[in-house]
Amino acid sequence: MTFSPELAAHLGLIFVIFNMLVLSAAFMVWLERKVCAYIQDRVGPNRVGFEGALQPFADVIKLLLKEPLRPKAADAVLFTLAPIISTAAAFAAFSVVPFGTSTTLFGLLDEPGIPLHVTDVNVAVLVVFAIASMGVYGIVLAGWSSNSKYALLGALRSSAQMISYELSYGMALAAVILMASSLSLREIVLQQQGYWLGFIPKWYVFPQFLGFLIFMTAGVAETNRAPFDFPEAEQELVAGYHTEYSSMGFAMFFLAEYVNMVTVSAVATSMYLGGWLGPFLPDWLAWIWFLVKVFAILFFYVWMRWTLPRLRYDQLMEFGWKWLLPASVLNLIFTAALVLWMQ
Amino acid sequence: MDGSVIGFYVLAAVTVLASLGVIGQRNPMYSVMLLIVSFGGLSGLYVLLDAPFSAVTQIIIYAGAIMVLFLFVVMLLNASKEEVARTVALGPGGMRMAAVLSVLLGIEMLWALSRVPSSWFAQDPSATAISDVRQIGIRLFKTATEPGEQWGHVFAFEATSILILVAMVGAVVIARKERSS
Amino acid sequence: MIPLNHYLILSGLLFAIGTAGVFLRRNLITMLLSVEIMLNAVNLTFVAVGRYWGTVDGQIITFFVMTVAAAEAAVGLALVIALFRHRETLSPDAFTALKW
Repeated sequence: MTFSPELAAHLGLIFVIFNMLVLSAAFMVWLERKVCAYIQDRVGPNRVGFEGALQPFADVIKLLLKEPLRPKAADAVLFTLAPIISTAAAFAAFSVVPFGTSTTLFGLLDEPGIPLHVTDVNVAVLVVFAIASMGVYGIVLAGWSSNSKYALLGALRSSAQMISYELSYGMALAAVILMASSLSLREIVLQQQGYWLGFIPKWYVFPQFLGFLIFMTAGVAETNRAPFDFPEAEQELVAGYHTEYSSMGFAMFFLAEYVNMVTVSAVATSMYLGGWLGPFLPDWLAWIWFLVKVFAILFFYVWMRWTLPRLRYDQLMEFGWKWLLPASVLNLIFTAALVLWMQ
Repeated sequence: MDGSVIGFYVLAAVTVLASLGVIGQRNPMYSVMLLIVSFGGLSGLYVLLDAPFSAVTQIIIYAGAIMVLFLFVVMLLNASKEEVARTVALGPGGMRMAAVLSVLLGIEMLWALSRVPSSWFAQDPSATAISDVRQIGIRLFKTATEPGEQWGHVFAFEATSILILVAMVGAVVIARKERSS
Repeated sequence: MIPLNHYLILSGLLFAIGTAGVFLRRNLITMLLSVEIMLNAVNLTFVAVGRYWGTVDGQIITFFVMTVAAAEAAVGLALVIALFRHRETLSPDAFTALKW
């Protein structure tokens, strides 16, 4: 394998993306605490760094310096494996998300440059879906191997919730795939170029508004966030599936949850909100639009958590099976009819 | 030494070793996890065979859904370790016979399959990489409008969907607790 | 390029491993897992031969095999649960009532 400048740039890009994901998880910690504070009419962390911006780093240092505990009756292999699976799945799902056109690193590379994603497979949407379904294992194994009743209950509930909402997630994705007639995320973004009537961008959120709502709801349920966070409800289940984890294991679950949120937001941006497309910015700065859109969705996530009450578990499952799944199927049927009619 | 050849041997080794682990492990939980590893290896092999759609559906369906089902059942039945009293039906002679027969099957298949002459198959390995999902879709759903065209596998698709519905209903009914009326 | 024989040999080996699992393991769940190994070996054969013949039919057949395997696993596990409720054991040797 020849060591070309493109290869070096590509590896550098992977490194940058990985670090960006970790930093975005840290950023999310800070954002969550600040937004939560302002919603609750208080200030939030403001001691560590400017407006508490270094708070996540303080949290991470605290977690790293704690003693890693493992219950004696816990299954050693699976107990250590579970957070690894969770985190690996969370990071791997981001590998097919495109966040810009190509970059030439200010002219260091030859003209087309390297495209701004880790990889682009022609079944990218299915890859995201596949890796999301692998993320269930981290939770199930964590609950089982902890050998504790709270953990097991939390894990079973959480995994049942995740696999139930995966169906609606997939159906909403299928409707967008139908409109874009491609499974590659980069292709889907490129199909959303252009404007209707000169100023409304051709993003899929406008024709697929119901699909967008379904996707966001299923995404919130997939990442175990409020109002679907019953499995890790502090009041009912101690801490759900990560009860017995301390220090690094807990930090990894935390990291996995936030990176999952970022991935769901990134996929939603690519599929519904037009990815990196936006006015006024030149092509090589288009990733700024991507960041703005992802940030908007993440803010919406945090806002929802601290505004809405938590759903009870049977309400959650009933909603997923009896309301969201038929809605997503209807959405798919209507989209199919629309696509056929427009041809 | 092509990268794909190394990839093949690594993935094949992972798959075979994980499968041996599945049948050799005492703990059913570990068996399920090792089977997931084996499916991952197979998925990689499908990618090497220019079949990314099969690779991804393997992960989604097998590793992501069927194995979760197995995992749930193992957890709910609390099947921790296998019982040692396993010689009731077969007896020690029976087990040995089973092992010998399996090894014989393995050797026979290896011998037969390695003697397949390569002239049986169209020698076009680097030709059309039919890995486009569009091709799969066309081949599955095509309805022949003109005479002489070939129908797609629409009937099998619809029959399979009814099969899954029946299996779903059947599984729920079979696993339900009996109600004492 | 990897010759087709390699894939067929691998698939034969996996099939034999699955068969050995069904014969040798005395635990219902592991027997079902071994059946899944066998089905996967067959899937691999289909995809490999489909690739070497240059058609996409191999992948389509694997699609159906995967779906049917899912249905079979669901029903099989439901049966295992129902059987477990009766005898509290997962060993197939406990269910010998139909033997003469």
